[in-house]
Amino acid sequence: MGLELKNISKTSQGFETLKNLDLTIDDGSFVAVIAPTGAGKTTLLRLLAGLEKPDQGQIIVDGQDVTQVHVRHRNIAMVYQEFINYPTLTVYDNIASPLRVHRKLSNKDIDHRVRATAEQLRISDLLKRLPHELSGGQQQRVAIGRALAKDAHLILLDEPLGNLDYKLREDLRIELKNLAHERNAIFVYATTEPVDALMMASHVAVLHEGKILQYGPMEEVYKKPNHIKSGEYFSDPPMNFLPCQVQDGIAMIAPDFHISLRDLNTDLAPGAYVLGIRAHHIAIKGDRLQNGVTIEALVELSEIVGSDTTMHLSHHNLKFIALSQQFRHFDLDENVTVSFDPTQIHIFNNQNGDVVSHAAGARHS
Amino acid sequence: MTTIELVDVAHMYSSGQYAVKNINLKWEPGVSSALLGPSGCGKTTLLKIISGLLRPTHGRVLLNGEEVNHKTPKERNIAQVFQFPVVYETLNVYDNLAFPLRNRHVPETVVRRRIPEIAELLGLTDKLKHNSAGLSASDKQLISLGRGVVRDDLAAILLDEPLTVIDPHQKWHLRRRLKLLHHRFKITMIYVTHDQHEALTFADQVTVMNNGSALQTGSPQDLHSKPQAPFVGYFIGSPGMNLFDAALTGNQISAGRYSLNLPQDTAKAIAGQSLKIGIRPEFVEIHAAEQPHSIPSTVKEIYLTGSSKILDLYGADLHFKARIPDTTTLHVGDTVWASFARQWLMIYADDEAVNLPLEETVR
Repeated sequence: MGLELKNISKTSQGFETLKNLDLTIDDGSFVAVIAPTGAGKTTLLRLLAGLEKPDQGQIIVDGQDVTQVHVRHRNIAMVYQEFINYPTLTVYDNIASPLRVHRKLSNKDIDHRVRATAEQLRISDLLKRLPHELSGGQQQRVAIGRALAKDAHLILLDEPLGNLDYKLREDLRIELKNLAHERNAIFVYATTEPVDALMMASHVAVLHEGKILQYGPMEEVYKKPNHIKSGEYFSDPPMNFLPCQVQDGIAMIAPDFHISLRDLNTDLAPGAYVLGIRAHHIAIKGDRLQNGVTIEALVELSEIVGSDTTMHLSHHNLKFIALSQQFRHFDLDENVTVSFDPTQIHIFNNQNGDVVSHAAGARHS
Repeated sequence: MTTIELVDVAHMYSSGQYAVKNINLKWEPGVSSALLGPSGCGKTTLLKIISGLLRPTHGRVLLNGEEVNHKTPKERNIAQVFQFPVVYETLNVYDNLAFPLRNRHVPETVVRRRIPEIAELLGLTDKLKHNSAGLSASDKQLISLGRGVVRDDLAAILLDEPLTVIDPHQKWHLRRRLKLLHHRFKITMIYVTHDQHEALTFADQVTVMNNGSALQTGSPQDLHSKPQAPFVGYFIGSPGMNLFDAALTGNQISAGRYSLNLPQDTAKAIAGQSLKIGIRPEFVEIHAAEQPHSIPSTVKEIYLTGSSKILDLYGADLHFKARIPDTTTLHVGDTVWASFARQWLMIYADDEAVNLPLEETVR
């Protein structure tokens, strides 16, 4: 049955945040809504929660129009970036509180649910503590526990890992994915972080200029961005975009830098385009260069991120980012040979940003 | 050029708890270094002990071999850059950068030579006449940095989470500027952060701290390839190291049904200690068919990172992760053969690395 947003518009603080937005989500989906800060993710979540009403459009849940239904009468749960718990209640009572509101459950049932939820989130030994006696990660686990315990049909998460350090984020992503697997609810997870979507989501919605720019199964959206902004927002580091001139099946990026377009599924009319390629499809000497197009580049900065090295590179006026899946060391302004994989490129319209063609590797793998 | 050394440093709070303990660290002149650890690990306490804001309850702070426990930050000639940029908002950018020199009565001829050079490195040349109050947080933090390096007689610059208030998209520019400054002036910099990305990008020498102890000091590559404590293996890298509780039987150390044969004297030395076996996910090799010493494993979950896949695996009664290229096609429920690259296997006894040749078996 699922959830449907029809032609939703919403103006907040004089600014049209959402415009004629449409989105249909099936039950059991874990949807990551991905966009930069200020794009309207929080507004979208507040509409879904019933905390605000749209200026226009309908919200349909299981075939029922709930647009005008108050938050109290919707079966939803919400987790915010700030760890919001009742400060005077113990962890146990915090998790139990939403179960007690409707007085439908016996104390025994409530006890069972609280303990099962705490077990899933690995906070069973903290049930008697007060929120201020917990670390940030533990407090956010309690807030997530409160949302999950009540068996809501729609679980809304607004950048819930944003205030946590990266090791806790790693752990909680895996826990959230496992928890989501175990129920048939819809999870809507707003984030700026592509890795949140990659690790957890079944589907991705890219929000841009108040509309859903692209929606689909996570891997498909990742492999086949339909627009420059989709490639930019759902990629960390952001996809590289290189303006180019196309003629006779060749993209000319610089006088000494041409990439063959033989791996594209369409012939391109001559003209100006934008070539997109992700950082990990640009190999650095020491990695396997395969049959790529090699050029010389200058290392502006080499950074270690997680277990990878990302390099900010330049070639004349061209700037781009490459990623090596190892711990590497490069000096500032060192010269390196890099290799672009022509089977992993995307070509975008240079006027409206729409995708024109994906290369073979991007289409199939 | 100053060598900084901490000898047997410990600091105890009035509650009797140690903020830092058994600290023996040395910074050679001109090193770029970082103190890295989670909040509460004692890294900021250590920074205060070096700068002179805090006098340690035990041990000695040495500058060029001379004990300076009783000296103030000013007497130690140590500059500090904090989370929040400190600029004189009534002065323009030029006068802000010149302030530490003029304050020490450095001749204006030197100031006129020095400031344009610093401004160039910071990318602030066009803004020298700007009022500093109207600048972005990023530019203000560059000024704080510039005021640190403008003096050529400093012993060190200590930086405490200096990029916290910088817009995420601006951070890499600041990291580059910081590295350029270090490269040009070769001044000792000690950078405190909880963020492995910042520490490993900035520093050639990283000290990983946890619970008040300095666990390992080394290059980013050392910390990755040979973590000397389980916490270092966990904290560096994403995802962190697979760590298995292990037990010793004779000369054999085992976790689940996976075993390694140890030299007899090593087995004797670690008997009775708490043992772990560690292997990083990127050093778990995945094969489609059985290999010597490989573990038949079930794929329980697959996570994408964007550039690779993380497999969640169960095999030999162990639960572990493997990182593989994103071009590999696998499905949840598949059986694969996993082997642990022997040169990257680590054994820990009472949380300290045991380095030795190993011989493995899978029952």
